[in-house]
Amino acid sequence: MHNHQTFADIFRASGISRRDFLKFCSLTSVYLGLSPSMVPKIVQAMETKPRTPVLWLHGLECTCCSESFIRSSHPTIEDIIFNMISLDYNDVLSAAAGHQLEEVRKQIMQQYKGKYILAVEGNVSTKDDGVYCLVGGDSFLNTLRETAADAAAIIAWGACASYGCVQNADPNPTGAAPVSEIIKDKPIVNVPGCPPIAEVMTGVVAHFHTFGKLPELDRMGRPKAFYNTRIHDKCYRRAFYDAGMFVRSFDDEATRKGWCLYKMGCKGPTTYNSCSKIQWNGGVSFPIGSGHPCIGCSEPNFWDKGPFYERLADVSFLGTDSNADRIGMIAVGAAAAGAAAHAVVTAVKKGKAGHEPEQHQEKSS
Amino acid sequence: MGRIIEEIYVWRLPVRFYHWVNALCTVILLVTGMYIASPVINPPLGEAVWYNGMSWWRYLHFAAGFIFIANFLFRMYWALFGDDKYARFGGFRPWSPAWWGKPFREQLESYLFLRREEPNYVGHNPVAALAHFIFIFCGSTFMILSGLAMYGENNPGGFSELFFGWMIPLMGGSYALHFAHHLMVWIFPLYLIMHLYAVFRHDVVDRTSVTSSIITGYKHKVEEEPG
Repeated sequence: MHNHQTFADIFRASGISRRDFLKFCSLTSVYLGLSPSMVPKIVQAMETKPRTPVLWLHGLECTCCSESFIRSSHPTIEDIIFNMISLDYNDVLSAAAGHQLEEVRKQIMQQYKGKYILAVEGNVSTKDDGVYCLVGGDSFLNTLRETAADAAAIIAWGACASYGCVQNADPNPTGAAPVSEIIKDKPIVNVPGCPPIAEVMTGVVAHFHTFGKLPELDRMGRPKAFYNTRIHDKCYRRAFYDAGMFVRSFDDEATRKGWCLYKMGCKGPTTYNSCSKIQWNGGVSFPIGSGHPCIGCSEPNFWDKGPFYERLADVSFLGTDSNADRIGMIAVGAAAAGAAAHAVVTAVKKGKAGHEPEQHQEKSS
Repeated sequence: MGRIIEEIYVWRLPVRFYHWVNALCTVILLVTGMYIASPVINPPLGEAVWYNGMSWWRYLHFAAGFIFIANFLFRMYWALFGDDKYARFGGFRPWSPAWWGKPFREQLESYLFLRREEPNYVGHNPVAALAHFIFIFCGSTFMILSGLAMYGENNPGGFSELFFGWMIPLMGGSYALHFAHHLMVWIFPLYLIMHLYAVFRHDVVDRTSVTSSIITGYKHKVEEEPG
């Protein structure tokens, strides 16, 4: 396992022809959005570089990222874990368990010091020394700090590890925090989504392996290749949005005609992800394609931006749930009432103070 | 009170021009913005290519927005470099404790009915200056920055995204930015009510024709009656 095999070695050993190997490299370049001229680079990397060891930790999470990952269709899960990466530690997928597995993690951390990728699924409970998430007899907070110390880079899988997701939604009882709030001294790639798209996940790993560095990231630490446009920008229902043709209830004629779901609370216009491009389950469909508004699962704090079926979020205001328009109307109403009251007081005061000039003025005007 | 004894040219043409362009743009932006947030008109069944129900409102919003920005920058130029003592930033020094001193306090007390005499200013009184700073300067700046950041989302890597996209992580995501833009717009109708009330009230109490001054540019001093 630790003899620094390259990808090409493994391909050869498993009887894959060079032709198929080159096909795989071209396909990878397509998924990464690279030009055909980059294919030789990928081939070279696959032939000369040892497989990148990946330690995959699970924190406070639901494993939906893993569920998505194992459903990757191009390439398939077998390809990924046998041929692409050396997935040395993953407490959900590993055959080993308990002390044996923890031993593997420690071994890889020593052997590949500063060279392995740490993939984190789920976030970190920070309250009360992290006792709300214990893995392998230690708090996940400690495990993460320990494993991150010698990692080359960290991949934060999913909305949990990137932003916090449902665990740190208000009121956040366990003090759940995303990886970026715990680890400050390592490059972190955020791959948000609940879960992220399988091909996006594998694409990020392949990019790191090919170029030896993280993919180009945007302002929120997400790979630009997959997260630089909104669902809205590539949505096949965009024409109905621009035309102003909206679904108004889930059983109207517009729903049957597949009009825009904007008024049903679709968060597509504010959500950066590849769902409307790559789509899900091998390109079968995506939420909007199935007639459901986007809930914005790859955006920060999307649980607190609800309700899912309204355009405007409810926010906590004076102890009740309210939205921007209601707050605005209350403020404007209060200003109007204040102005009216002020006018009345002014009239009364002036009436009392200057009865004389008031009458005089009337005569002269 | 009686005859007009003095005419003072207070609001020069650039100031009046700014005021009305700003007022018009603000109303258009408010109406189109609210429509974009909650589009109420649904076209009849048909092909999407036949209609532009949403894109038209958005176009109007963006066009008015850019005019609003240009107008705002023009006013900032006039406030900084214009040879106009009533429109300059010169006298406005909220960082200095002296500015919050007697004139500000007296004006505030008069608004709160704590003193009888009404101070009278040819230009903006200190309380009005503060209100303009908070609502018009800070409010417009926020709406412009957040608006341009949202506009930039249409074209990743483009000018608006490059120079104003930092607003998105600052506000905690695209949705939070949209929400803040939507919430903050309410300061404009709020300001409008206070502004109109203050102007009408000053006109009635001080009789300086402040209402018409933003059209004509002239305020009037009225002869004090004896007794």
